[in-house]
Amino acid sequence: MSEAQATSESQPQPGASSVSYEGATKRYGGSATPAVDNLTLEVPAGEICVLVGPSGCGKTTAMRMVNRTVEMSEGDIRVGGESVRDKDPAKLRREIGYVIQQIGLFPHRTIAENIGAVPQLLGWKKERTRARTSELLELIGLDPELGERYPVQLSGGQQQRVGVARALAADPLVMLMDEPFGAIDPIARERLQNEFLRLQAQVRKTVLFVTHDIDEAIKMGDRIAIMKEGGRVEQYATPAEILMAPATEFVEDFVGADRALKRLALMRVSDIDLWEAPLAHVGQATTEVRAKLAEPDVEVPYPLLVDSERRPLGWLSERDLRAETVPAKPDSPLGPLLDRDDIMRDALADLLQGEAQYAAVVDHEGRIDGVLSVEIISEFLKSPAAKTEEHSAVERPHG
Amino acid sequence: MASLAALPLAAAGQVGEGFFHERTPGNRPCQANPSHLFCWDWARENIDRYGTPALQQLELVLISVVLGFLVAFALALLAHRRRWLRPPLLAGTGVLYAIPSISFFLLLLPITGRSRETAIIALSAYTLQIIFRNVTVGLENVPESAKDSARGMGMTERQILWRVEIPLATPEIIGGLRIATVSTIAIATLAVFVHAGGLGTQIYGAANLRFPTSILISIVIVMVMAFIFDAALLTIQYFTTPWRRARAS
Repeated sequence: MSEAQATSESQPQPGASSVSYEGATKRYGGSATPAVDNLTLEVPAGEICVLVGPSGCGKTTAMRMVNRTVEMSEGDIRVGGESVRDKDPAKLRREIGYVIQQIGLFPHRTIAENIGAVPQLLGWKKERTRARTSELLELIGLDPELGERYPVQLSGGQQQRVGVARALAADPLVMLMDEPFGAIDPIARERLQNEFLRLQAQVRKTVLFVTHDIDEAIKMGDRIAIMKEGGRVEQYATPAEILMAPATEFVEDFVGADRALKRLALMRVSDIDLWEAPLAHVGQATTEVRAKLAEPDVEVPYPLLVDSERRPLGWLSERDLRAETVPAKPDSPLGPLLDRDDIMRDALADLLQGEAQYAAVVDHEGRIDGVLSVEIISEFLKSPAAKTEEHSAVERPHG
Repeated sequence: MASLAALPLAAAGQVGEGFFHERTPGNRPCQANPSHLFCWDWARENIDRYGTPALQQLELVLISVVLGFLVAFALALLAHRRRWLRPPLLAGTGVLYAIPSISFFLLLLPITGRSRETAIIALSAYTLQIIFRNVTVGLENVPESAKDSARGMGMTERQILWRVEIPLATPEIIGGLRIATVSTIAIATLAVFVHAGGLGTQIYGAANLRFPTSILISIVIVMVMAFIFDAALLTIQYFTTPWRRARAS
């Protein structure tokens, strides 16, 4: 390797590259049908593309063709416009982050050495690698002291974070993630998924993410490619599109009958029309409040007590209204308090868990924004926007 | 060396009665009593005669184990790359290992003659099976996920071998070396039958049947030697595999 090459290689390449599959095909010897057949797919730079499908659909093969750990038989894949075929496989792989389900940390190397593995291959100076390693440990929220430990001394979740940090070490243009959270227990998995999404918001890599779990795909993907046997893409769209309008019967089956419910995971409370509750202030005459309740178009039959900044304090009961003026301490507690930015699915969970019919929704300043009820959500699920199975959707009277 | 080469030691029978008288100065009371297992007086007076044989023994062991290791390690790497070579190599080294030791030395006599080379060839051949087997097993036990991620991050096959597979196989490799070394230290006493010296010169003699003191001294030296080598290899393993001492906290 010449010196000029060495220096150019050790430069960090900022940003991310697009990945385009151009009729990529993989045929294994002795098999009549290709594992991946003529796959054409465009992944824009900086997005997470989830390849999802049942086992044996060729999603992992499709992913591995990008870094040539599986060599394609026909077609091409371009990373940032350059064909992967034109590059030396080892050099190509050093520009592409790689995370696998079994994590694959080197047991004989410390955490810091694991994270610094690709920089070492690229010939970075020790100082630079060390600086990058501590930067990454911080980024993934791991105590820098853990850098001196060995993988066996870390929990599974910590190990997987290190696996992600190791893949990010040399600032790759593309990340390949093969069921990265598949071997983690459900609670830790949820946390790792959220952490990765937060991380991705900062680093904005192009990510090819393989999973067989449609819920994970919906959560993680900017786009989802639903794949069928032979690596055929049945639908390539945003999670919302896939949930609202499955392109084929296969997609419909794969997404599952509860896809309307799944849509709630993609929505925030602010995406839905909230109800208004009659507002009451401390010291206000109860007759005024009663008058508001008597109005014909009232949506919530209970008055909500708010302070002078319109911050909710609690719900007024019939007994509260028997007094002359509105009391400072309402009879019923506030119950679940939601933020406009809460995920709708979590909001529903809060409502159900709080055994509450109504939940006050506040803005960033904590001021009342509206009221969410189980009824609003159930009506939303029945509305055409969420209705995805026309043949089974029954018109039900409600009001 | 010269005095040893002059000894007619091609086989135990040839050592003869003369050995005892020739090499045992003094006439201690305990020497005369065959039921006496160990004659301290004789040992004290004759301990210096074990120096040269012990050094010869050491030399034979070191050369044979290093040679055997190099050959077996190379064969194991070859079998690691080309899987089909593994069964024949395992069988081949196994056959060598199964040859009764004395006959192996004697079989080589017509080819290489009475020489140190003959002893080294036989001793090295005995180490092949154990080292080959352990290196192969060690390389095979390297987790697939570590190799997959190494390949995926852009290591070449050679880098994977030297930076991931061999370091992770170190405990098995050193384990094989320990067994091979200890057994070679013991078998090297047979080198005397091909005129290659060693502690065998102090063990195999008809006279020693009636006077076991010399045998016992040789055995102790062999055991101490084996212990020192084993401890040294264990120490090397300790310092080359720090990750094995790390435990989940």
